[in-house]
Formats: sequence, C-alpha cells, structure tokens
Amino acid sequence: MESNKKYWKGLEEYNNTPDFVKNNKNEFAEPLPIEDVLNEAGLSTVTPRRDFLKALGFGLGAVTLAACQTAPIHKSIPYLVKPEEVTPGIPNYYTSSFNGQSILVKTREGRPIKIEPNPNAGEFFRGTDARAQASVLDLYDVSKLKAPLLKNEETTWAKLDGFVKTELTKAQASGKKIRIVSSTVNSPSTNAVLAQFIAKYPAAKLVQYDAVSYTGIIQANQNSFGKAVLPKYNFDSADLILSFGADFLGTWISGEEFTAQYSKNRSYKSLESKKMSRHIHFESGMSLTGSNADTRVPVKLSEEGPALIALYNAVTGQSLPGGTLGNNTTADKVIKLAAKELLQNKGKALVVCGSNDVSTQILVNAINAAIGSYGTTIDLDNPCYLYAGNDAEFNGLVAEMSRGEVGAVLFLNSNPAYDYIDAKKFEAALKSVPAKISFADRADETASLCDAVAINHNYLESWGDANAYEGYYSIVQPTINPVFNSRQAEESLLVWADAPVKDYYQFVRSNWETKMLPALGLKWNDVLEKGVISIAPKAATAYTFTQSVAPVAASILNRSKSLAKDIELQVYENIPMRDGKNANNAFLQELPDPVSKVTWDNYVAIAPKYAETLKVKEFDVVTVKAANGYSIDLPVLIQPGQARGTASIALGYGRTKVGKAGNDVGKNAFPFVSFINGTMQYATSVTITPTGGYYELAQTQTHHSFEGRAVIKEATFKEYLKDPAAGNEKGEHKDYDLWDQYEKPGNNWVMAIDLNACTGCGSCVVACNVENNIPVVGRDEVRRRREMHWIRIDRYYSYETPEGDVTKEKEIANLEDLDHVSVVHQPMLCQHCDHAPCETVCPVLATVHSSDGLNHMAYNRCVGTRYCANNCPYKVRRFNWFNYWNDSRFDNYLNNEFTQLVLNPDVTARSRGVMEKCSMCIQRIQGGKLKAKLEKRPLKDGDIKMACQEACSANAIVFGDSNDPNSEVSKALRSERIYYVLEEINVKPGIGYMTKIRNTDTKVQA
Amino acid sequence: MSGHNESILREPLITGDNITYAKITDDILGPVENKPNKAWWIGFIFASLGALLWVVAVSYTFWNGIGAWGLNKTVGWAWDITGFVWWVGIGHAGTLISAVLLLFRQNWRNSINRSAEAMTIFAVICAATYVVSHMGRPWLAYWVLPLPNQFGSLWVNFNSPLVWDMFAISTYFSVSLLFWYTGLLPDIATIRDRAVGTRRKIYSIFSFGWSGSVKTWQRFEAVSLILAGISTPLVLSVHTIVSMDFATSVIPGWHTTIFPPYFVAGAIFSGFAMVLTLLLVARKVLGLENYITMFHIESMNKIIILTGSIVGVAYLTEFFIAWYSGSEYEQYAFINRSTGPYWWAYWMMMTCNVISPQLLWFKKIRLSIRATWILSIVVNIGMWFERFVIIVTSLHRDYIPSSWAMFYPTWVDVSVFVGSIGLFFTLFLLFLRVLPSIAIAEVKLLLKSASEQAKMKQIKEGHENKEYVAEYIESLEKFDSVKQEDYAKI
Repeated sequence: MESNKKYWKGLEEYNNTPDFVKNNKNEFAEPLPIEDVLNEAGLSTVTPRRDFLKALGFGLGAVTLAACQTAPIHKSIPYLVKPEEVTPGIPNYYTSSFNGQSILVKTREGRPIKIEPNPNAGEFFRGTDARAQASVLDLYDVSKLKAPLLKNEETTWAKLDGFVKTELTKAQASGKKIRIVSSTVNSPSTNAVLAQFIAKYPAAKLVQYDAVSYTGIIQANQNSFGKAVLPKYNFDSADLILSFGADFLGTWISGEEFTAQYSKNRSYKSLESKKMSRHIHFESGMSLTGSNADTRVPVKLSEEGPALIALYNAVTGQSLPGGTLGNNTTADKVIKLAAKELLQNKGKALVVCGSNDVSTQILVNAINAAIGSYGTTIDLDNPCYLYAGNDAEFNGLVAEMSRGEVGAVLFLNSNPAYDYIDAKKFEAALKSVPAKISFADRADETASLCDAVAINHNYLESWGDANAYEGYYSIVQPTINPVFNSRQAEESLLVWADAPVKDYYQFVRSNWETKMLPALGLKWNDVLEKGVISIAPKAATAYTFTQSVAPVAASILNRSKSLAKDIELQVYENIPMRDGKNANNAFLQELPDPVSKVTWDNYVAIAPKYAETLKVKEFDVVTVKAANGYSIDLPVLIQPGQARGTASIALGYGRTKVGKAGNDVGKNAFPFVSFINGTMQYATSVTITPTGGYYELAQTQTHHSFEGRAVIKEATFKEYLKDPAAGNEKGEHKDYDLWDQYEKPGNNWVMAIDLNACTGCGSCVVACNVENNIPVVGRDEVRRRREMHWIRIDRYYSYETPEGDVTKEKEIANLEDLDHVSVVHQPMLCQHCDHAPCETVCPVLATVHSSDGLNHMAYNRCVGTRYCANNCPYKVRRFNWFNYWNDSRFDNYLNNEFTQLVLNPDVTARSRGVMEKCSMCIQRIQGGKLKAKLEKRPLKDGDIKMACQEACSANAIVFGDSNDPNSEVSKALRSERIYYVLEEINVKPGIGYMTKIRNTDTKVQA
Repeated sequence: MSGHNESILREPLITGDNITYAKITDDILGPVENKPNKAWWIGFIFASLGALLWVVAVSYTFWNGIGAWGLNKTVGWAWDITGFVWWVGIGHAGTLISAVLLLFRQNWRNSINRSAEAMTIFAVICAATYVVSHMGRPWLAYWVLPLPNQFGSLWVNFNSPLVWDMFAISTYFSVSLLFWYTGLLPDIATIRDRAVGTRRKIYSIFSFGWSGSVKTWQRFEAVSLILAGISTPLVLSVHTIVSMDFATSVIPGWHTTIFPPYFVAGAIFSGFAMVLTLLLVARKVLGLENYITMFHIESMNKIIILTGSIVGVAYLTEFFIAWYSGSEYEQYAFINRSTGPYWWAYWMMMTCNVISPQLLWFKKIRLSIRATWILSIVVNIGMWFERFVIIVTSLHRDYIPSSWAMFYPTWVDVSVFVGSIGLFFTLFLLFLRVLPSIAIAEVKLLLKSASEQAKMKQIKEGHENKEYVAEYIESLEKFDSVKQEDYAKI
C-alpha cells in the first residue's frame, strides 16, 4: 500500500505559492524580533506592562515550582579510579586485634562492618566476645570528638603539639614527675614508643591502671614463685575445676578463651568420647560461670576465705585455724568432698579464685601447688600479659598528684575520674597537676578535666600490635582512613618526643622488621596476612610452694571478719558492660545480662528469701550505703542463687560523659571498691534501706522456670554414660501429616545446638545484631517486651530438692530453700520449621518456605498483621513497632547518616510495620554458594557459617547441610542427645538441641 | 400479608388503640421529619466526641506506628482483634433478625429488624476499621485482596484464615447493606411522598423510583426472601470464619474445634444484647412503645438466655477437653486463664456471660426494662472480655515460658476502642434522623391482624373462647404500653 501520502497544511502549501516557498525556509511563520530585542536599542526600550507581568508571572511560577521539591542529594563515591583491592559488593577481610585477641575485620567498600575471629589465632581463640562483636559500632559513634581539644576548644594538631611540648618541657625542667596513666600496655610497639618518650622526658613513667584489677594474682605469684605475672590457665587440661568466685567463662581475664578450653571437655564431641570435666563453683552472686557449674554453692563473701582455708586443710592435711564455715553446712560438706576429688585428680585439676586479695591468691597458689596444677593446668612460664596493672602504684600516683609532685599527667585508654574508687579525691588531686593531657576519643569524665584532649584513633583506624601471652603476638592494622581529625596516641607521643620516625605505621613496621621478624624468617606482609605470630611456647614447669601460709591465713581471716557485718556487697563486672569503657555502645547496652536478662541498667541483686527478710520486693528502689559514705539508689533484682546476706552490683554503669546511649544508665559502683592490703577489693559491706520508690528494670525474660516442659531436656553424666539418650527418651507415637512432602534437592540447611557447650554468654546475640542490622530499641521498648534480637538465650532456673528438680512456678512459690539453683541456657532462634505455622497464616504469602529448608521472610510483601508471630510456638518473630532506625524517639545510635554506615549492605534495613526474624544469615548462604560457583566447585561443609556460629567460642552452634550425610551438622544431629523443641506439635523444626548433661553424680552433690 | 384474624392466644405485636396506617407513619417518621430533641443532641455530641477520639487515636497510630499500642513480641493482638471480633459479633443479631426470623415467619421481627440491620452495618464498619488499622502497613491493606497486580504471579495465601476473613467480612457487609437497603425502599418512598423541596428530591433519588404498584410489592417480597436466603448462611459462616483465625492456629487456647458454634452463639448473644441496649433507649426517646413492646423485649431476653447458656456450656466444654486432651500446654492454658495473672478477666467473662444472663429466668427481671437494659450492657462487657481472654491470655503464656509476657494497653488502645463505640453511635444517631428506625411498611402489615386493637375487635365480636380471652388478657399485664383498665371491664 502506498504509504508516502503527502498531507498539506494549507492551500498555500498545496498551491506552492511564492510567499509560502519564501517563508517555509524560516522556522517561525512570522519573524521573531530577536535581533531587535538583543541589540542595544532593544534593551533600552521601555518594557510594556503586559510583557513585564508575563515575565514576572512566569518567573515567580517557575521559581515556586522549582522550590517545591528539594532536589535529593545522593552522596556516592564514584569509583572512577577504582582502588585496586575494592570491588563493590565483595567484602575484604583484614587481620587486626581487639584487646589482644587476633580478629578479622570485614570491610565493605572501605567500611569496617563486622568482626570475625581470625582462624589463625589458635585453637582457643575461635570465637569472639560480645565486646569485640559490638566494637565496630564504636567507630561510627557520633559522641566522639571530631577534632582535638585545647582548653575545651577545638584546635589544630599544631597548636596542641605546641602546647603539650611546652608543658612537658616545663614539667621536666621543674623537676616534677611526668606520668602516663594507661590501662595495661602489652603492645611491643607502644612500649617502644613509651621508651622513646621517656628518653626525651626522663621524668616520665608509665603507670598501668586497670579499672578492674588483677594485681592480687600478679603479686601473689611474685610472693609465691617470684614471678609477678598472670599465669596462663589451661582449663582444657583440667578434669576438675574448682572456682571461688572467678567468672572465668565470662569476665575473668580471658573469658572467651577459657570458654573454648572449658567446652572442649564438655561439648558433644567430648561426651561422645565418654569424657566430661567436672566444675564446682562457690560464689556469692550468680555469675555466668556459676550458672554453668555442675555444682554451685552459694557462699557469702566473708565465707570465701574460710572456705579456701578449709579446702587447704583438707587437701594438705594441715590444720590452719579458721577453716570453719559456720552455718553454711552445704559449703562445708562440698569443700570436704571436693578436696577428696582434687586429690584423686592430681595434675588434672585446677582451683581458681576471683578475689583480688594477695593473701587469698597466695593460699590458692598453695592449694594449686598441692594438687600439682603447676606445669599442667597452670602455666607460669608462658604468662599472660593481658593485665599488668598495679593498684598500689596508681594509688600512690593520686597521692603524689595531690602533693603537687606531678608536673604533667597523660591518660591513655584510662578514665580514673569515672572508675577510680574515689573519683572526688582523684579530681581534687588532678587540680594540682599543671598539665593534664588525655588521649580519649571523647570528652569523657577524665578528658573533660584535662587541658588538652589529643583524640586517639579507634582501633579500626590504628596501627599497632599486642602481646597477649608470652610468645604470642598479634597485629593491629587500620581498616579505614581516620574518620575524624584524630591522631593515634602513639604518634602523638612520638611527635612530642621529637622522635626521628613520627609516622606510627613506619614505627610499628620497623619495630617488627628489626626486632621480631628476622628471627622467625618472616616478612612484614606475612604478619599482616596471618595477623598473629606464635613463637613455640616454652615447656611449662612445675612450681613448688614453699612459703608458710599461716600469716596469709591470718590476713584472710581478718578480712573475712571485717566483711562479715551488715550486708556483704559484691561489685562485679557483668558481661555486656564490663568496666564501662564501652558504655556508649548501644548493642552492648541492649545485650541482656546472661543471667538476669536485664538490659540498660544495673541493679542490686538479692536472694529471694533474703529479700523477704529485708522486706523488699523486686524493683523496689533501695539506698545502698557503704561505710565510706558513698550511697546510690538502685532497684532490687531478685536473683535466685545469690548467697543470703549478700548483694551484688555491676560495675560499668552510671557514666556521665560517654555519649547519648551510655550517659546516666544505671549507677556507678566503682566507689564501693576499696583499697585494702595494697590491692583493690571488690567486696565490702553496706546497709540497704528501701526508699519507697519503684523502678522497673528492662528485662528480656520475665518468666524464669520452664514449667517441667520438654523444652529443656536434661540428664546427669552418669545417666548419660549408661544411656546416651538419657533424658531424651522418645515415647511411642505415630506421626500424622496434613501437608504434602516436598523434596529438598541441593541443600537442606539445618542447625544443631549443644546445650552442654553453650554457656549463655550472648556474643552470638551481638554478632547477629551486627550482621543483620537489627535495631536497638532502648530501655522503654525492652520494658514493653519489644527487643528485636533474632537470637536470644533463654535462661531457666530450676531448684534442686531431695525429691528432684522443681521447675514449676507454682511449686517454686512454696519452696523454702531457694539457694540451690541449677541453670540452663538455651539459644532460641527461628527453627525454620518444615511445617511452619507462620507460613500458613500469612494472608499475603510474605513468609514462605524455600526448597533448601529455610523459612523466608519477604519484608516488602509484609503488611504487618502479626498473625505469624502469634502463631509461632517459639515466639522468635520480631515486629518493627516503629521505624526504629529513623525515628528520633529511638535515637540510641542509628538515627544519623554517619552511624548508618555500620549497616551491612547485604541486609535490608527494615521499615516500620514489618515482621522480621532469623533468616539463617541468608546473605551468607548466598555468598557462600556464589563463591563456590565462581570457583567452579561444589559447596563443601564449613564454607558457610552463621554469624552466631562464628562468634561462638564454645562451638555450641553447628550449621550445615543435612542432605550431606558427612557434614558436621548431620553427624551432630545423629547424636542420641538430639531433641527438637516442641517436636510434639509436629511443626518439624530444623534445629536440633542436645540434652543438657550435668556432671553431678559424684558424692559431692550439694 | 394477611387480613385474616390471628389466634387470640398470640400476644399483640402492636399496642395502643386508634392506631391507623397514618398514625404508624406519623409515629415512626416523627424523628425523621421533625427537628431533633434535646436527648438526641446530647447523645450525638457525646457520640461524635467519641468518633473524634477515634479519628485522633487512629491517626496517631498511622502516623507513629502500631507501637503506639501496648502490643509486644509475645502478644501480637490484643485490644485490636478483641474489638474486631466484638463488633463483628454484635453485627450478627441484625442478620439473624432480618434473615432467619423472616424465613421462620416470626412477625415480631418486623418492628426491630430495621434498627438491628442498621446496627449490623455500623458494627461491621467498626470491625472493618480494625482490620485495616491493626496492620503494620495499613496503606497496603489492599494486598490481602486477590487483585491482579504488577508483582507477577504474586497471589494471596488461600490457606490463611485472614484471607477467608476478608472474604467473609466483605461478603457479609455487602449482603447486609443490600438487604437493609432493599427493605428501606418502600419507607424511603413514604418519606419522599410526604416531603417537599430538596428533601423530596433527595429521597426521590434514594427511593429508586418506588411506585408502590402491586408488581413492585410482589418483586419486593421476592427479593427480600432471596436475600434472606443468601443471608442466612452468613449468620453461621461469618463468625465461623472469624473463629477460624484462632481455631486453625497452633496456640493452646486457640486451637479448638468447638470455636465455630461457640463463636456463632456468642455473636448472637452479644448482638441481641446490643439491639436491646439501643432499642430500649430509642423506644423511650422516640416514643415507639406501641411498636416495640414488652413482648419484643421478652422474646429477645429469651434468646439471650438460650445463647448465653450455649456459651456457658462451651466454656465448660473447653475446660473439660483441655483436661481430657492430656496435653500439658492445653491444660496450662486453661488453668492460667482462670488462675493466672489475667484471672480477673476470666471471671469477669464468666460472671457477665454465664451467670448474669441466668437472672433472666426470672420473669420479673425479664420484664423489667431497667434490669434488661443493664443486663444487655453487662452481656456486652462480658463478651468483650471473652474475646480478650481468648486472645490475650492464650498468647501471653503459650509454649516457651521464656517469652511469657504481660499485655498492658496504652491510651491509644483504649481510645481506639472507646472511639469506635463513639463512631458506632454517631452513625446510629444519624441513622435515626434520616431513615425510619422501624420498617413502616412491614409494621403496617401487622396492624389488621396482630395488633392490640385488632384483637380487641375480635374479643368484642364475641366469637372467641372465653378461656382463651382470659389468658390473652392476662398476658397483657406485662405490657407497659397497654391500658389495663380497658380490659378490666371485659
């Protein structure tokens, strides 16, 4: 068909008139007066009124419309010049160290977003603790200073250096002392820097001051064996562990490492080889370690000394006076039997004590020597350098300062204005120091009293190294350029010392390259790659204890007597907050205490029966007053297992100048610490009076007994040896099924959780938070029971009676003896049920099952009816009640663009009104599959690890493919101990739990 | 319908003498055609303040998020779904009266069906507001509808009781509305015929050109019967499906096969109570004593005793089955209901729903307007608690004790609920002003056969058995709208 028809627009075109031909060349039919307007004359003509109004109208309209919407500003980094090692979407891992532990830092597009354990770190560094996991958030903390301060004004480094150098020179010249107050320094490079600094300023000296001190053990070793060190403890070599108040799985020295050692003898693998260690624990407050003990005996703080004397007497057959336990018959009985067991386990036993009293630790040394621990379970030849603080030295410094003998003081990683036992005295003493310099990253309690704050890098921005144990070195390397105008403290010291090399990177590198690497035949890059260098340890030798213990025992008894009045108060570190240095970390504030499940506060823990005597109820506010006059008002928490006559308060709270999240959370308990016999003592006596107030603590769990339900299955080791399925007897039943069976080709992802290995420490909770962008909701929301954690640790108490364990709330209410508590910790997360009750009820199919056994959650499809959460028997689904990450009412940390950089870009940040829950780290599963695919190989067992699993030191979580019969998880799931929580309702959960085994069947049953 | 005489033994459905068709129209259209009285204004001000509160509370929730309510990780539904089920339940009496009683030729329904149906519609509106407002992302509420969409093959989950719910409630609402409006047509036409000016025009449009011809009436009767036939299964299905929201779940206390009949009985129970609450007031304020008589009140009270007893038996059966099941979770759920932290809610429910309706066995109470009115409110309080007990006390302590939690309502929870009552009454009071609260045409049908004056005529004609007459006169004693002295002479 003819398609090139010609349409004409008018008769002129049709006729092709001359006029048309002429005008057709022009774009406009009539000529526009452009030239007229643009030439001089045009511009000078008078604008007609109508033209003016037209222009005005258009102009105004256009401007108005343009102003209606702000053009969104998208900040992005164009990789026009792509950094060699950065590929968008692919994470990079760098080795570094956190508190002496070697770690891997995951970075995405140049942002550190996750901490993982370094697989090269060694057998017992396979996990990370909650602090390490949460530490990435500190990098993005907006409460930090953005520039150095001089006299509380922002300044430049040049001005600050000028000031500091002048002051230091002045101090040096005046003949006064210069003191560097630091928490323990175990970094060889830092020590080298300090040496250069001291060379320049000979009046300078390092004073090591740890907020929570281990001076007692160090000095006891000096006294007993002439070695002023912390020993290396080998819990893995101990078949019998006796602990007197040492929370070695939690906060004592190196909790994660000890957890790994401890679980080696208690996990499913150990049980399969018919081996399980035995753990007897004496303590006042219920600690994480106590909650894991096979036999736990509550003793008062004043009874701890006599108990040790009694044990010493029983072990050595001597009869030191004072080894009587008065009314505590249980403790008395257990001590006698434990002594027998210790003697049976000579060389395979270990006694540890959490006390910081030198005499007490000397007595412990004597006991350990008597049972042959040295050279086996205690290694004094490869000591631990994690803590080297000297209490007396710092105490002396405060006195020197107040006498005006100190010309300049520098605070490195220390904050005595908060954590010294008498902050007022310290502040007064500080006033007499002419030059005060802090390296804090924020204007904290001490820094705000200083003349200059030379803000230090976060460790993720720093170079450095650490030496946690003799011969064990790890590297610290930066993973991001400094975010603010900060400078590494070591570099500042080098600048002030006018050192030849001021660049700290060069300094660290040359320090390694000259002092360590040549001997090992290694290169600098090897260190960076491996992250840790381990020189073959020396052989541990046995030590004999030769001193007389009589004077020691006398000192212990004196201390015990002075404690035994009023209410004995124990101040302790809890797992989330530790010494309070990380108090502004919202992840840690919201991590529930592993035992009490309290978040965002500290409290006075009192035993249930003792609270009745004191006539206080849970959450009553009481005034706790010490003999030194210090008093605080805190709410009461009823803590089963707490020794009667004692109370416990956690340290690390009550910070006032740490930042938005941590300020005024709880009350400061450091002033309850007292300096006695040359060391800090964490026990004191106080009076408690109710104020009549009421303060509800934010707990993530408020019901504490498991009501005899098959949710928890337990057996004793003896029963287990007879029948591995003990406690897990399966009755006869027939399964009926409403649903079609689907094949799971490829993978079927499942998990096994060993209740015997899990200590309940909670590092998995924080690891999951960081990995999956889980919002922190704050104290009020936790009180409303709205915390968002995808994995939680359920902690249940049951009470031991002669008739068996009592687990039901109503029966517990009638019990007289609430002192003998056994505890079980159960990690609970989405069970990825094959017959998931949540999936059938969702009206919009927002939660569905995948062919690889996972229960998916499509956030974008969710309309938020919450039916799935109601119908979840495990109550693991979490609802976004508000827009937590972008709502000023929940401004704990994430409501600013800077902190949002911590978010994992592989995981969607969920909006308000959407349900969420454990996804089995689906981003990790996909990542692992993709990696295998790119490498053209099948996925193999262990390629994919869950965030919780990777953080777990105890190896309690095993994840993998049940379609592979040889996978670790398939093997674990074949254990006779495996049971599925609520399997009787036939939801076919995908996570198998292993029964809790307690090694209680010796005669030492409490 | 019938010009024949009715048995003298049947009590009259319309009392008063000198009732004519014109008087009926005048009486019933009084509130529609005149300025509202003071009582109406007071009621309306309170109700609209309530509705305003509802607007504020729901807007607050939409703006801030569902976190404004007291819900938590364990208790994901509380006052919202309690309110939803409560309102849906209340709606049931309307359908039962209009459909089931029509099919069973219970002529006494003619005086109360209009208001009851209006109540149904308003109650379902209140319930529907909860369906949307309880969602985390209410702006996506349409996703529960199986609409063709741009998401490819994404469809709704036909396994989910919430989808069934959506069908049930929307069907229920549309059929009820249709039935109600069809019944209104002759009455709107009556208003039209009496009105002038703009009112006439408006009512003219809404009367759909009703002509009143024999053919129109015939079709009207046919449509009414068909719609009654369609509605009847809805009386059973809607609350059955609502109950399945719970019954098909795995939560102890929810997972119960008795729920469908138990919920339907409960719904009728609460619905009749609400009809009584509304009509006892309307009857007095609007002067409708001759049309809504003591006979009506007593009949409804009898239904309340019946359904209340069914509900009571259901409560006891639940307990028995929980024990008999041998399931510790099930047993604990019921022990916890009656003795746990929410024991007071359970015993509130038991007292209001099981014990207090039994008082209606006493004729004196049954015939006391004041007592009936109080009991009708007590029943609805009890029925609210029933849903609260089922939802909250089952959820707050389910399988895993670590997650056990308490639910505490916030001011927003309370305001949304109180506000929904305000919304309901606002709608109902507006209804009273613009539409006849009693079906005029249907009441007129009864005048010649079942009214007091028709019966009086029958007696005067003297053909009736004396004993029966005496019995009839005796039955009139309870009527507060009957002049007893007229019968003293006979």
